[in-house]
Formats: sequence, structure tokens, C-alpha cells
Amino acid sequence: MANDREILREVWEGKLPISFQLDPDEVVELQQPDQFYLMVPRLSYFPLVTDKVRKHFLRYVANDKQDREMWLEYDGQPIKWHYPIGVLFDLLITSDDQLPWNITVHFDKFPENQIYRFNNKETVESYFMACLKEADVLKHRGQIASNMQKKDHNQLWLGLQNDKFEQFWAVNRKLMEVSSEQEHFKYIPFRCYIDDGYRQKLIKPVAEDGRRKTLQDLINEMFPGRNVNIKTHGMIPPLETPLQWMSEHLSYPDNFLHLCVQM
Amino acid sequence: MPSSLLFGINNEGRVHTLSTTGTMWREIPYAGQEFKKLSAVPYFLWALGGDHQIYVYVHGLDIPIRVREEAYENERWLPIEGFSSRLLPTDRYRFSNVDGTVDRSIDKIRLPSMAWQWEGDWQLELTLDGQPLDHQGWTYAVDFPAQYYSKKQWKSCVRRRLWVRSRRYSAMNSWCAIAPLHKDATSEPFIDISIGGQSVAGAEPGTMLVWAVTSHNRVMFRTGVSTKSPEGARWNPIPTPIGSEINQISVGPTGLVWAALLDGRALVRVGVTRDSLSGESWVEVRGPGDNLKIGQLSVGTCAVWAVTQNKQVWFRKGVKGEGAGLSEELAAGCGWVEMVGRMAQISVAANDQVWAVGADDRLVYYRSGVGASDLTGKRWKALHAPLQSRPSSMCEPSTIAEWEEQSHSAPTAPTSLPVGDLASKFETQPKNPKAWSPVHSVGSIVGTEVHPEVDESVWSDGSRESCIFAEDEELGWAEYEAPWSWVEAGACTVDPTQLPNWFAEVGGGNNHTEMGEPWRLRILDDLKLRLPTKDLYKEWQMAVDTTSWVHTGEARVSWGSGQFVDCVLQLEWVQITGTLTVLNPDGASTMNLFSLNDITCVQCCSEPGSPRLGIHVPRHSPSLLKFQFSSDAQLEEWQAHFATTCGRLQHVLGKPSEGSVWAVTTLGDAFIWDPTQLESNQLRENDYYVQKFDLSGKESPIKVALHGSFKPGTCLTLTGCIGDDADRIGINLDAHSTYRLRHKAHSEHENTCLHFNPRFVESHIVRNSMIEGKWGKEEKEGDLPLKRGQEFVLRIETTEDAFLIYIDDKLFTNYRHRLPPSSVSMLSIWGRLQPFKLVIKSPEIILDPLNLYWRQVGGHLRRVESCRVGVTWAIGYDHTAWVYTGGWGGGFLGALDSHNVHPMTDSQDYRVYENQRWNPVTGYTSAGLPTDRYMWSDATGKQKRTRDQVKLLSVKWQWVSDWMIDFHVPGGVDRDGWQYAVDFPGTYHAHKNFTDYVRRRRWYRRCAVATTGPWQELGHTKLIDVSLEPVKDDLDSIISVWALASGGQAMVRTGVTRSNPAGLGWEHVSSDQPLGSISCGPYNLVWATGKKGCAYWRIGITENKLEGERWVCVEPPNGGQLKQISVNVIGVWAVDHMGRIHVRKEVTTTFPEGTHWQTITPDPLVLNAAPNTTGFKHVSVGRNEVWAATNGGAILRRAGICPSNPAGSGWFVGIPGNWQQVSVRAFN
Repeated sequence: MANDREILREVWEGKLPISFQLDPDEVVELQQPDQFYLMVPRLSYFPLVTDKVRKHFLRYVANDKQDREMWLEYDGQPIKWHYPIGVLFDLLITSDDQLPWNITVHFDKFPENQIYRFNNKETVESYFMACLKEADVLKHRGQIASNMQKKDHNQLWLGLQNDKFEQFWAVNRKLMEVSSEQEHFKYIPFRCYIDDGYRQKLIKPVAEDGRRKTLQDLINEMFPGRNVNIKTHGMIPPLETPLQWMSEHLSYPDNFLHLCVQM
Repeated sequence: MPSSLLFGINNEGRVHTLSTTGTMWREIPYAGQEFKKLSAVPYFLWALGGDHQIYVYVHGLDIPIRVREEAYENERWLPIEGFSSRLLPTDRYRFSNVDGTVDRSIDKIRLPSMAWQWEGDWQLELTLDGQPLDHQGWTYAVDFPAQYYSKKQWKSCVRRRLWVRSRRYSAMNSWCAIAPLHKDATSEPFIDISIGGQSVAGAEPGTMLVWAVTSHNRVMFRTGVSTKSPEGARWNPIPTPIGSEINQISVGPTGLVWAALLDGRALVRVGVTRDSLSGESWVEVRGPGDNLKIGQLSVGTCAVWAVTQNKQVWFRKGVKGEGAGLSEELAAGCGWVEMVGRMAQISVAANDQVWAVGADDRLVYYRSGVGASDLTGKRWKALHAPLQSRPSSMCEPSTIAEWEEQSHSAPTAPTSLPVGDLASKFETQPKNPKAWSPVHSVGSIVGTEVHPEVDESVWSDGSRESCIFAEDEELGWAEYEAPWSWVEAGACTVDPTQLPNWFAEVGGGNNHTEMGEPWRLRILDDLKLRLPTKDLYKEWQMAVDTTSWVHTGEARVSWGSGQFVDCVLQLEWVQITGTLTVLNPDGASTMNLFSLNDITCVQCCSEPGSPRLGIHVPRHSPSLLKFQFSSDAQLEEWQAHFATTCGRLQHVLGKPSEGSVWAVTTLGDAFIWDPTQLESNQLRENDYYVQKFDLSGKESPIKVALHGSFKPGTCLTLTGCIGDDADRIGINLDAHSTYRLRHKAHSEHENTCLHFNPRFVESHIVRNSMIEGKWGKEEKEGDLPLKRGQEFVLRIETTEDAFLIYIDDKLFTNYRHRLPPSSVSMLSIWGRLQPFKLVIKSPEIILDPLNLYWRQVGGHLRRVESCRVGVTWAIGYDHTAWVYTGGWGGGFLGALDSHNVHPMTDSQDYRVYENQRWNPVTGYTSAGLPTDRYMWSDATGKQKRTRDQVKLLSVKWQWVSDWMIDFHVPGGVDRDGWQYAVDFPGTYHAHKNFTDYVRRRRWYRRCAVATTGPWQELGHTKLIDVSLEPVKDDLDSIISVWALASGGQAMVRTGVTRSNPAGLGWEHVSSDQPLGSISCGPYNLVWATGKKGCAYWRIGITENKLEGERWVCVEPPNGGQLKQISVNVIGVWAVDHMGRIHVRKEVTTTFPEGTHWQTITPDPLVLNAAPNTTGFKHVSVGRNEVWAATNGGAILRRAGICPSNPAGSGWFVGIPGNWQQVSVRAFN
């Protein structure tokens, strides 16, 4: 059971300062727009939090481009909107000196080869729900998510969108429960980010002999013989942290552990 | 869920208990006796001792078990001797019971056993129906039996008086032995014992059934066991079919009995009903298989479980305890189902939850997943509750030897346990040490019941040995290496959805250890250390704005009392303000719109099947909006939104202040009004509270309600301009009118404290007062400083004895009070003048009951009582007592914004009357006359009721019983529950008379609600009323707490302070009559009302003796029976059964009992305050305020209370919020 509220709350409260600026080439007005500063929840997705950014820059771009999809770029690379913001930050930013995170906003030349298009928030929602269901298949053979009602799904989504911890966890709690027959999840849903992509594998939270597996076990199974560090939520969890506990408490809202691998 | 106890016997034969609120097994103080088997219902534990004798252990009762023995002394008048004890041969006994049929000679009434003690000697009852009697308690009549009167008349030929004496069960919290069957206790010892039957349909409350099996395999039924007689009367052998040798027996809560035979079959007792508690006959049931012999059985309500001799567990399907008395099939079930697991012993609780002792590991197991729909459950779950370390010295040989000595030497001597010794050894026990400490009493294990047959001879040398210390006692237990030999769940109520904290070591999340793990602490630290430079970004905008939002939904709205129409509700919250918009269903046009600031109360006002929310906006018209939602979930969502937004606007967050006023609605919701919030919002100038009215837009005549109390120091300033054509103008300070009821119509008689009447033609100013519609003598000295067409400033200051009237800042005159100034309730202005502005400065807070913001707190409650230092108690509908935890929020808010809340349950009964009419052909049938009431109706017969279609109020409520006939209806019932009457509506009686043409009976069905709230359960003792009052003025003072137990017994709670609001324990205060209401204030003044309607006050209360000395009866007001009473320094107020209020007059410190009652009848203002009002329901007296609730649900505040007029002058009306009770005792 995910009932360590102190941890859950702290994870939920994580925020990042981001400074947005419009690509100077796209500015059609005489005056350059000001940078736009925003505190962004780590657990959210960019399309959910950039309405204000779009509004701010919209009047500086050419009329014919105003209806186009806005996309974000950091360090010359388009940002993958379908990763949670905290994951992107942990992947891209290595030191606190780089704060605030400077992100360039584009309205033109959508890099279709590199990132998915997202027409509206529903696209994000369906992607999010797909992840959530996948995680539940790993944890409980998908029994809990599929037995949920539409309104529970809505509550999860609105809780995330409106940054409401209680609302979200009132439903997410059920997804984090272990069934009465078993005392742990079937498999741990996680993604290890490495080399511009991520890897997944079926890993159980307990070993054959009933011992609780830890993060060290996960690393050993994923990267045998290699010495790696794992970063998530902007910190490096101790290697002796049990996997079951990590999955319950350190998963992102999509119910996956997003682990950034540092060689 | 109230806490309850699971019992167990360990391998040493020691009895342990595990509380549902605890986590550790605690041993019941060992008193030298080991036990083999246990059987329990709440508060009563029966056990089979290691000596094969039966013992009873009564525990956890805060009210002593008291029985009042009554004997009527009868006398007849003889011509010469006068009244004499020589009666006619046809007369009744000289000492008899109430109807004269039984001989009740005082000297023959004895204690039933040594477990009982007399409380005092025989005494005369000196009242009749609440009225005091003279003549040594004699009441007179023409003849036996007849109506008895308190006065002797010329025709009085007989008289009688009542002798009463109370006895008390003194063996509480200790083992009390039941007398053996024969003089030689070893000749037929017992081998099994079972208690149950606490919910036999329709039986007298308190009935319990005890069955036992003897070593000769005979079955015994114990007669007369009840909560009033824990040991019962005697053993009755119950014949069993030839060839069946009974080995074990179990009786369920509904009285269903199963017995296991030595040959492995089972017998089921059929025909157990309220009329035949021991049943009619046996039916045989075969074992589950050919070679599977039943070893042990346990019966629940709808479940029978068995363990066969090969340790397999079996469930009997098809058993239904509620119908088992009437149906053989339901009693015997229809088949065995095999369960997994190997168990040694099994026990089924009253709610069909199952517990067992494992056959191999001897652990206690709980069957998880058992519910009404799945009685077999899911899997066995082991209990992991540690044993509380036993006070080791308890079993030191010396201790045992010591009292062994005593017990042998003095079988009749009551004092045998080393009481002081034991108490000191047990002081390490948590909570309520009293519950387990052996009482210094005759009922302790050495004091064995005296039985008429065996009496003292039981204690012959030989039998004593075997009775207490069987020689082989240790041998029997030594063979078990395992921890548990027996588990007993009969007294244990566990809600499968909220399991107690007994399984801590099972399950994945082992939280207690995780909290301190280094990796967890490091993760937490690291998470907190993220973004070390966060101060730099403090001013940055948040990406997700949680401070503004709109909540929209569909609902139906009713304005005032009208029909519900469709609408769209929109609640908009922008930063710090909110608006509620009610739109037409098209969503475009607005029906109504107001600021959330105007809302003073948001209340659930659902009706079954219609989830509704009432929004009180007293400054709008209509002042009450009701919204109906399509589901309970929607209602709760809106309720939570309103509660959080309105709460934030009114700044009522966090803990309410100690001076808060509490109120409860008829739906059981509790609300608080916090005076500090009004105080902080009210304008202040120096030491004065200020209220300003802008009257410039208004036209004369104008009336302005004045809620300040007009105490000396109050100052009213009115500015305005007098019209050019003004002739007479008037500025009045009016008091409430006096209403008189004549011929069912109220006549109104106005009262005016100050009539200020400038007359420009006559050029003087008339001052006068009107008292009850009559003008007094005019004062018109002085000139006329006011001029037509000119502006003026009129200032009226109140002093102790006069109004000082200033015109344009110059003292014009003073006007001596003719009516108490505190009765001023209204400023009225008439004539040709234009007022501009009215300013009132008051030394006291200005309190308009219409403007108070009521904030909800969780819980389902019937009464809440508070006191000056903020200690607050509540009583639920099921009479459970709750103590306020200082938290807020709860069920209605969800988990959001709640603090210090706990799960709570409450229950209520739905009642339906079945009516029938007699006709000559078919007898009584449900075919009534066309003019008759509904054949299924409410008590009045005016409302149709059907049993099948009863809806519960909301999804939070659940049925917990089926429809059952109520055998406990006032007036009595016959054996099928019917009451007879000549016609509808009539007075109903239990026996059918020749002239009775109609009959009715009552059905009831119980439902329960589960919610949460900032309340902690106080204990098991059920309460009907409570009152709290600090003894001293300081905050940490001891608080005197008086309460009434559900039987009407008075009690005081010891050790209650602000830091320990639950106190330590109850002390019983005996009273002659059962009491109905009690109030205490100041601490040395306690008043109560008797069930018969008279009042009592307690004398002899001092700081060191809070329970006082005795009750003194005060006669009720003429024609009224008092129902509820509230007392405080400002007076004694009571509500009677007709909804009137009575105030005790001429109460002084030397005569705190006063001399007579003044009656306040509800005036038209009160009757119109809420629909369906006919009178008052509840009154609460604070230090200087009196508030009341009407039976229509309006809240009222009494105006004009002052030393010269302690009953006040009128009522200020608050919102009609379905209130049923209010407590202003904390408000100062």
C-alpha cells in the first residue's frame, strides 16, 4: 500500500522553474517578447501547462502561423512532450547551475520526424491512460484499471491536470494496492532511460526465495556487470530501496517508475 | 464502530482479551482458576473452568446492575380499628406485588445469590406519578383493585403503600461461580457451556440464553439469564432423543442451538422463539461425510461452522438464524461445504465473522472476506497481536497460597482477594484500569453462588478441593506447547472493511519499520533538498493555477417552499471571492446569482431518494434555496465545495474556538458557530462594538431590528432631516410584543420602552412608554429644539436607570426606565422625516442570530453538549457517547481538509404500523373501511407506509436487519405483537376486549450509517443525556460531568479536564425514578427531569463531592410534564411535553430551587419562524444567553433577559435549519 503520505506529497509537490523564450527568428513584431517565467510541476506534461506560454507569445508570431502547434526545443533538440516534465529535466539537465531551465518556443517547422504531433489535450490524455493501463497489466494483470469506471479515470486525469493531490490519490490509491492474495505486485512497471530511448523488462518485486528485491537487483538484471546510477525525481535513490516500495511511492502519475540511467 | 473484545485462552488456561481498538492481548487478572472453554456476548463471559464448573464474568459495564424490589403493603379500613393490616379473606396478601397476585412479604425477599448486595434498607416510596405523598406514603382507593389517590376520601376503604429496596450485582469484573448441579460438585460436572440469544426476535431487551452440557452428556438450559440477572435462576434439563449423547453445544445470537453428538452427528433445536426460549424439539443433522465426525460447532446469525475430528473445517449452508425459530429448514440448513485449512476450534461472531485456532500451529486465525453475500469468506489470515507482558508476580506461589488460605478458611467471607495488592500490580495496564481490576466483593471467585438446594453444604471439605483447585488442573494444559487453545468471538464485532490493527505483520507494506529505514529517510531528505534555490522563484507564476476555478453541474432548485425545477449550478471561485450562479437549464440565462459571502449555512436536507442541499441566504428573498442532485456522490461533491469555499471566505479554518455554539440538525449533522469569527468581523470603536445602518435611501416608516442588548452604556445615534410639512414624528425604541392566547387566537399587546414624539404644532416633545398595549403617563417638559426642514442628530444613551436623550449634542432630557432597557429589540421611525444614518455602539457584542455562519463538522449525532473550556461531548442516535477531538472536517468533506477524524457509526430504526379491522365474517383483516387509515401507515395513520419500498436516506446508510415485529410498543402487545383499540385513532392495549374493532402492530427495521468525524468513542455505556460544567473558572479546572445512562440512571464522570476530555470513569448516582434529562450549571447546581415529568435538583454538591448527596423533587408546572431541562447561572429553563418552556422563578442563591414556574408559550413570531412549528423542542441556557430550537427546526435566541426579568421579553429568530438541539453553554 502506498500510504507514506509524506513521501507521496513531497514527490507531488516537485516543481521546476522554466524560462520560455520565443525563437527570435519567428518574431515578426519589432519588439522582442519578454521571456516567460513559470513554475511547472515535475509530474505533469508540457502540453498541460503551456497554455499561458502560448498565449504570451502568440501575438509576436506571423498570423498564418498562429494556428500551428507550438513545440519546445532545448539545446537544439525538440522536447518529447510525452515524457513527464521531471523525466525530461533529469535527462537533459545535469546540474542545478543550469536553472532556470531555458526552453525555446517554436510555432514553425514542426519536427514531425522527431516528435509526435499532439492536436489537443485529449491526445495527451489517451497517451497517459494507455501508460496507466499498461502499468496495471504489469502490476495486477490489468484487473484494477479495467474495472474502474469512467469517472475514476476522469478523476485521475483531472487531478493531474489541475494539480490536485487528494483528487488524484483518492483513485490512484486503488491502483497501488496489492491484492489480498499476494503481498506485492506481479511485475514492477518501470522504464530505464538510456541512449535517447528507454528499455523495459519484466522484473518481479520479490526474488525466488521470497526476499524483497531492491533497486540494486533491478540494475543487476538490466545492466549486468555495469556500475550505473539511477536518477528519478531529481534525486538518486539508495540502491537498497525495495522495488515494491519504489513502485508504490516513486512512480509518476502514469504508474511507471521513470529511471534515468547515468553511466 | 464501537470497540469490542475478542477472547482467547492460552495453553496455560489463562483468559486473554484483545480489543478491536487495541493491538495486544491482555490477560484477565488471574485469580487462581484456569479455564478450558469460553463463550461470550458483549459484557457477559461464561466459562468452563479447569474444575469443570461454570463461571460468569461480567465486565465493562459502567452502570451497576441494580434491581429494585417492590412490595406493596395493603390495608383495609375496618369500622372500629380504622385502617388495619387485617384484610378480608378474599383480599390480596398483606404484602403483595402491584396487582396483588403474588405474596411479597418483605422478610421473605432475599438476595438471589452472594453476588448481590443490598443498597440500603427498605424504604417507602413517597411520590405518586411525580406528585409528593403525605400520610407516610399511603395511597387510597375504594377497593382493590381500583384507582389509587393521594388523598383519603370518605369512601376510601383500602389503602396501600409501596416499599422499595434496591439490590446490586457486586461481582462485576470478577469470576463468579455458578452453583453446581448437585451438592457434590464432582458428581456431574460440566463439559461445555455456550451463551447467546442476545437478539432473539422480539424478546425482552437484555435476554440471554445459556446452554450447557454435563459430563453425563445431558443438556442443561439456564433459565432467567438476562442483563438484570447475569447468573440466571436455575438449570433445567432439556431431554434429548434416545441414543444421542451430547458432547458440545453452541447457541447463536438469535437463539438457534446446534449440538454435536459423541457419535459425530449434530442436533439442531427448532422452535426457539420469544415465547419458547429453550425451543421445542430436536432435529438430527448428519455429519459431512461417513467417517467425518463433527467435533465442535459454532453458531452465528446466518452461519454455522463446524470442525470435524480430523480438523477439517465445514460451513453449513442455508442457515438463517432470523427465521430459524419458525422454520426447520432455516434452522438446519441444507448442506455442508468444505473449507480449506486445518483448525482445532472455531468461533463465529454475531455478525458471522469467523475466527479459529489453527490445528497445527495453534495460532488464532481470522477468515477474511466474509460478508453478507459471501458467508464463507476468502482465506484465513493469522492474527499477530503480541501478548502484553504479564505482571509476573501474579502467579507467584506465595500470592496464590495467600488467598488460597483465605478462600479455604472463609467460604462466606466476602473479602478474599488481595485487592490493594492486585491493583498496584496492574497499574501498568493501559486505559481504564478499573475494567479489569478485581473488585472487593463477594462475587469474586471464592464467593460462590448460594443456591436454595445446595446452600452452604457445598462447602464441605471434599468438594471445596475439587471446586477450586482440581488436582489435575495443570496436567490438562501442560501437553500444549502451542500458544492458543481457544478463541471466542461471540462478543466481538469486527467490520470486515475496517479490520482492527491485529494483522500488523502480515501484508506487504510493513510501514512501521519502513518509516525509520535509512533509505527512506535519505529519499525524503533528497526530495526536500531538490531545487535548493527555490527562494529565487517565489514570485514566479504557477503553471497550474489552483486558486481560481469554476465548478458546474446540473441540479434541480426549489425557491422557498416551491417545486423543484431544473437548473445549472455554477460555483465560481476567483482568488479570494466566490459567486454562486443558478442558471436556467439552457445554461445561458441566469435565475439567480449571489456572493458566497451571503451564505450563512449549507446543510444536507435530503429526503430518502432525493439528495438535497439547503443553502441559507437570510439576507435574500427567499432566504432558503434547496438544490436536489441526481446522486449522493454529486451532493457530497457540492457539499464539499461549498464547505471549503464558504469556510475560506468566513475565515473559519482550523480548530473552532472554545466558546463555540454547537447545534445538531434532525438529520444528525452537527454544526458550529464560532463567536470569535463574529467578534473579529464586527466593527470596534474603543471598547464598543459598533453597528452602522445607512438609511438614506429608505422612506419612513422604517423598522430596524436591534440585536444589541441595550445594556447600560449602549448609545444609539440617529441623524436625519425633518420634513418641511412635518406635524408629528415618532422615534420609538420598541420591545417585543406580549402575546396572549385566547380562544386559540393570539392577541398582540405592544411594548414600547421609549416613545419619542416631537409634535411641531404643539411645540413640545412627548416621551412615554407603552406597556402591554397601554400608554403610561406622558412626559412633555422642555421646549422643542428640533426644527422643520432641518437636519438633526439624536443620541440616546442608556444608563442604569434612565435613557439620556441628546439633541444636536446637547442633553435634552432624561427618561426614567419604565421597562427594562435590555428588552429593546426594534427602532421604529414614522412621520415626515428622512433618516440618514443610524449608529449603535454597544458594550456587548451585537448578535443577530440570522447572520451567524454555521460550519459543519463530521459525524452523525443526536445531541452535542459543550462547556466554557471547550470540552465537548456528543451522543449518537444509538446512544453512543463521543468526545470531541478538537479536529474538524469528516465524512461530509471527504479526506480533504479534515483533521483528527475517526470512523463513526450510528443506527436508527424505521417503523411502520400494520393496521387491521375486525369484521364478523373473517375476523381481523387488512380490509379496512373506506374511511379508515392506510392499512400500512405511520403512527398517526395519516401517512401511507409500505415496508417494501422504504428507501434509505443516502448511500451511506445500510440496512442491518430485516423487518421485525416490535414487541416493545408503549401500551403493551399480545404474543403476535398486536395492540387493540375500539377504533382508530384510539388508545391501544395489549389484550383484546369485546368492543375492540381494530388492532395494529409495529414493525421496525434497523439501518446504520458509517461516516467519519472529529469524535472519539467514549466507551460502551450508552447515554441519553449529558451536561458538562467546569468547577472553577480557570481553563484547567476539573469539569463536572453529569450524564444519564440509557436506562435513565444518573452518573458522574470522574477526571474530566481540558487535557483529558474523556475523563477516567463513571460513578453511578442512584435516583428513585429513571431520569430523562439532566443539566448542571454552575457545577454545584444540578437539575434533572424524571421520566414521569417532574423535576429534581441535587443538594449537597461541593467541590470535593461533585456527586452531591440526594435528589429533591420539584413539582412540575401545572398540566405539564417536563421533558428537557437546562440550568445555568441565569436560570432554570425546561421544555415540557406540549412544547412550552417553563422558567423557574424566584431562584436565589439561598433558595436555588425557586418557588414556581413561569410559562413561555410559543408566540406567533416563533410559530412562523419555520413551517410546521407548534412549540419548542429544546432549550439551552448559557452563562448569559438562552437559545432554543423549535420543533419546526428554527433556532431562537431569547432577548431581554436581565435580573429584573429573568425570563426575558421575546425571541430573536435565526435560520430555519432543521435544528433539533443547540448548546450555548460554551458561549460567553
